[in-house]
Amino acid sequence: MSFKQDIDHPIVKVSNLSWSTSTNQILSDISFQVPLGSFTGMLGPNGAGKSTLLRCLYRYITPESGQVLLNGQDISSLSNYEFARKVAVVLQHTPQHFDLSVFDVVALGLIPHKSMFSNNTQADLSLINTAIEQVGLSDKTECDFETLSGGEKQRVMIARAIVQRPQLLLMDEPTSHLDVKYQIQIMELAKSLGITVIASFHDINLASALCDQLLVLKQGRLHISGTPKNVITEETLSTVFDVCAKVSAHPQHHTPHVTYFYGYIDKISNSSNDKNESEGD
Amino acid sequence: MKPSLLLSLVLSVLVVSFISALTIGAADLTFNQVLLSLFGNVDEAGTVAHSIIWQLRMPRSILAFVAGCGLAMAGLILQTITRNPLADPYLFGISSGASFGVVIVMTLTGVGFGFYLSFAAFLGSLLAISLLLLIAGFNRHQQVESMLLAGVALSFLFSSFTSLMLYWSDPQAVSAILFWTLGSFSRAQWDLLWFPCLVVISCLGLMLAKQRQLNAVLLGDEGAVTLGVNVNRLRITMLLLSSILTASIVALCGGIGFVGLMIPHIVRFFIGQGGRLSLIITALVGGVFMLWVDIASRVILDNQELPIGIITAAVGSLFFLTLLYVRKRKSVI
Repeated sequence: MSFKQDIDHPIVKVSNLSWSTSTNQILSDISFQVPLGSFTGMLGPNGAGKSTLLRCLYRYITPESGQVLLNGQDISSLSNYEFARKVAVVLQHTPQHFDLSVFDVVALGLIPHKSMFSNNTQADLSLINTAIEQVGLSDKTECDFETLSGGEKQRVMIARAIVQRPQLLLMDEPTSHLDVKYQIQIMELAKSLGITVIASFHDINLASALCDQLLVLKQGRLHISGTPKNVITEETLSTVFDVCAKVSAHPQHHTPHVTYFYGYIDKISNSSNDKNESEGD
Repeated sequence: MKPSLLLSLVLSVLVVSFISALTIGAADLTFNQVLLSLFGNVDEAGTVAHSIIWQLRMPRSILAFVAGCGLAMAGLILQTITRNPLADPYLFGISSGASFGVVIVMTLTGVGFGFYLSFAAFLGSLLAISLLLLIAGFNRHQQVESMLLAGVALSFLFSSFTSLMLYWSDPQAVSAILFWTLGSFSRAQWDLLWFPCLVVISCLGLMLAKQRQLNAVLLGDEGAVTLGVNVNRLRITMLLLSSILTASIVALCGGIGFVGLMIPHIVRFFIGQGGRLSLIITALVGGVFMLWVDIASRVILDNQELPIGIITAAVGSLFFLTLLYVRKRKSVI
């Protein structure tokens, strides 16, 4: 591993994690550590295994082999609610079929903390309202969740995560399909919470600008990891993402900034066969 | 509308409805007689009036109310755990299983009423639901889809068995069974009432206890799992709950369709589904609706009782067409 940041206090330690479906090896032998309080970005082309890796981290699926330690404790040894008190998740889509209000959705964050018949206490209510305020939606507390815009919905999900009071926040491409402004807003909001965050990104520049550490996946393997400066190079972009690009320093904060070159039509017609094969995600 | 305001509104409508259900019917009773026999003394109300109210209309109205509550709750549960607005106890083969049980008992023994019939209906629903659970339990990944499809398939399977038995049986049994499947509250008796009441009250308690988790399931299985909810177990438990609810009601009242489907939608029209009060309101509205259906079944035809199922299905389908119309207009705007 090329990652050399201070990792005296890793909150997450993943070792030799693998997962496969009956036909495909999706994740192979992935190991990395996440320092306490850091913002870690996960990059990789579609089908590289970002979502699957995150699903292993939030226990939606069980790794075939390997181990995930949270504060030195194997996550598979925790009970459902114990785990949910430590780790919150914001997903890409939130399906919604019946009208829950913004308040109801944020209040769901209390689930791991409450027993069956307990009512919301005054402290719970103020926790919920503070969280809604923190994501700037105080005027929409009683609105139907369904009527919100995509960016607002994700802010509600972050408010829910705040109410959950986790040590670690996992986000699976929370900003895809959002306008640029909201992509930046959502990620900066997540960063401002001051807890450890692991998020997968679609936008390399956004990841580069916000993350302390990046993990780049390619075909289910951890291709490279480290600070944005070490990871985002013209070579990575060409081998992992198969694009030709120029990397320069961002004018505002000097993190690597990617400028893509164009002209891929010829390449498609030349390699149409293997393109079809790799699209099965 | 504020849930607490709606609750007090529904409660006052309930009181009015219940007294109306005791007053209106084939025998002409006055409002005064009803009040006297409820709260005053028997002699002033008249002994006939007193026994009509206490022996016939009271158990009948309680059964109607409890059945309405239970079916509305079962509908709400199923719509929530499948995230499907069309889910209804009858979609899952629960009532066709009950009919199947009834048909077997009627054709084999010739018994046309009473406890054994209810018991057979109950067993039939449980049979249908165990098959459904078996199928849904095996396919854990697309549980919702397989549950819905298996429910529809089972429903048709049991209907075909029922039709086959009917084809072989004599015309008298056929008409008895037809009457049974259309639903009626005329079988209400004090000594059979405790069971559906017990089931409805304990299910309401369990739903209130699991209300946060049910809300979480509305936002998708994956999201609910990340909140620590054991979604598969919750779904199986709730499915079992709604089948026991439905079975205990179907066993006494026969098939009453559309209530479970309709009432949760009506309540959602006024208040969101998130709060605990909305569960209680859904149950109460179901009960009130059923009281009026029962009243209608007694007064629409002279000296004759219209089967409950006919009224609920007619009102229900009209309701659905209206809902479609309203939704269409909403989406245009």
